[in-house]
Order: sequence, then structure tokens, then C-alpha cells
Amino acid sequence: MADEDPGWLVTAAAGGDQAAWHALVERFSGLIWAITRSYRLSRADAADVSQTTWLRLAEHIDKIENADRVGAWLATATRRECLQNIRAKARTVPVEDMTWFDADRDDDPTEAEVLRAESEREEADRARLLWQAVGRLPTRCRQLIRILMAEPPPHYAEVAAALDLPVGSIGPTRARCLQRLRRELGECI
Amino acid sequence: MSDEPEDDELEYELRQLAARQDPVPPELVQAAAEALSWRNIDAELAELVFDSLLNTDEATLVRSSPGRRLVSFQTPELTIDVEVTTTASGRDVMGQITPPQRATVEIRHRAGVVSADADEQGSFRSASLQTGPMSLRVRPAAGDPRLPIVTDWLSI
Repeated sequence: MADEDPGWLVTAAAGGDQAAWHALVERFSGLIWAITRSYRLSRADAADVSQTTWLRLAEHIDKIENADRVGAWLATATRRECLQNIRAKARTVPVEDMTWFDADRDDDPTEAEVLRAESEREEADRARLLWQAVGRLPTRCRQLIRILMAEPPPHYAEVAAALDLPVGSIGPTRARCLQRLRRELGECI
Repeated sequence: MSDEPEDDELEYELRQLAARQDPVPPELVQAAAEALSWRNIDAELAELVFDSLLNTDEATLVRSSPGRRLVSFQTPELTIDVEVTTTASGRDVMGQITPPQRATVEIRHRAGVVSADADEQGSFRSASLQTGPMSLRVRPAAGDPRLPIVTDWLSI
């Protein structure tokens, strides 16, 4: 059901269809989470913003113009709640809390285990480098990329609504920011 | 110029990274699924028309601060002004219904519903509320045929 046209899901949910509502939640929770993290909200604040946004959608579900653009509606609502949250805190929010998996190795590893551990460590190193490189980007690029990392991938209209940018600028800005990221990584893959 | 396949590959790798390292917490999805049950079909929605957190004119800056937030909700028939104050134990709420009238006020928030009835001056208050989403449900006094009102959800 998550593959259904969002406009149809909105109409069905407005009629009380709980399964349609669940499908909307499945489809757009990733986007809302990515937006809150792009604004560097803590997990607790991101949870508040997410829940407030969904509650607002529930109350407005039968009033949305262009129901098929509900993704952009949610992105805009999330952006506004994030900004209000930041203003209410009126202080710098700590960088996203992330813990890195750091495996403990057995005392006597087999060769297969050593090889697997090596590749896991390489993967962990690559992941850490990549995430840190994203963190070093200029704010706008970092935000754009974090939102693009949402699952499922957002439409450019949703990214534009999340950042309050013209939708036509998203494609070129994405290209520019990914190129910038590759430079940060010190590579041209 | 963008080299499309490289961009797509890098974006894909980034998405996988986020899914592993910073996924959507399951409890967020669960809470969102339950949000539809908070909807009030038989109520009029009072939209947020003013929020001191978004307003930067001087008069507002004088009257409010991050610890003292002023919001207003409106329907064609009435206005609900709310002051949200941050305290050590959470959020205190003081409200005013205009035109002044008695009403049953329910403060809906994550942990449930709190009653804070409005007196004949339309004033109501409640203390030590949890942070998080909040909405008011205002029901007119008994015998009044008008619909109840629910305010837009706010994150306090």
C-alpha cells in the first residue's frame, strides 16, 4: 500500500482508513526524520517535531489542497517546527549524536574472521570518513545531502519545501554539493 | 556539469550509510501511526495565527522570550491566546478566550488529556505540562449548540 499514490492515501485516510494512514507514515517518516536531523535536532527534539507534524496532518487531512503533494506539505510543516524548536532553545544544538560501531576482536581469530574483521573495519573507516566529510560541508550542502539520504528517496519538491528553496535549484545544487563532498573526501571516485 | 552515475552511486552509498547509522527510531513510526486517532472530526479547527517564536518585530521581542512564548489561535467566532512558560518542571500554560466565556478546556498532549476549565472571563491555566506536542480542545458550556474547537498542534 505504501506504493499507492499519496493523494489517494490522503483521501482514504481522511475517510478514516487506518491502513492508508499507516502507508502515509511508512512513506514519509524517513523524510521527516531526515529533515529534523538536517537541522541538527537532538533525538528527543526530533521526536517532538515528528509527532507534532503527524498530529497536524491528522487534523488537516481533509483540508489539504493538492493531496498528491502531501510530501511537500509534511516537509514544510517539519521545517517550520524545526525552526521553532531551534529558536525556542536559543542555543547551539550539539552535533548529531552518533555512536560508531567498534568491534572487539576475539583473542584467537581464524583467518576468515581476520579477513571479515579487516573488511568490516574498512567499511567502518569508510563510513566514518564519509559521515565526517558530510559534516564538514557548508550548512546548505550538509542539509541538502542529509535530506536526500531519506528512505525512500525524496522528490525534489519535498527537498525544496524542506529547505525553502526553488524546486528548480535542487538538481544543480545536489550536483554541486556531491562534487564538493568528493573533494572533501579527497578523491574522485 | 554533473556526472550522473557517480552522483547516483554516491547518493546511494550515503543513503545506505544513514539507514545503518541514523535510522528512523521505530517508536517515532509507532507514535505517528497512532496520530490519526487524535483527530477530531466533529470539531472546528482553530488555526495558529500568531507565534512569538516566528515573529521578530520589536513589540513582540519586548513581550516575549524563548522562556515565555505567546501564541494565538483563531476561528471566525473566537480567539484563544495562550502563554507558554518554561519552568523547572516543564511547561505552564495560561490561556484567554475572547470573547470571554465559560468553556471546558482540555489540554491534549503526549501523555493524555488534562482539564483546565475556563471561567466566566474566559481564563484558564495549567501547570507542569510535559514538553512535546500540545493542542487544546475547547467545548462550549452545556446547552450551547456550537461545535467544539480544537487548536492546531504545537510543539511546546
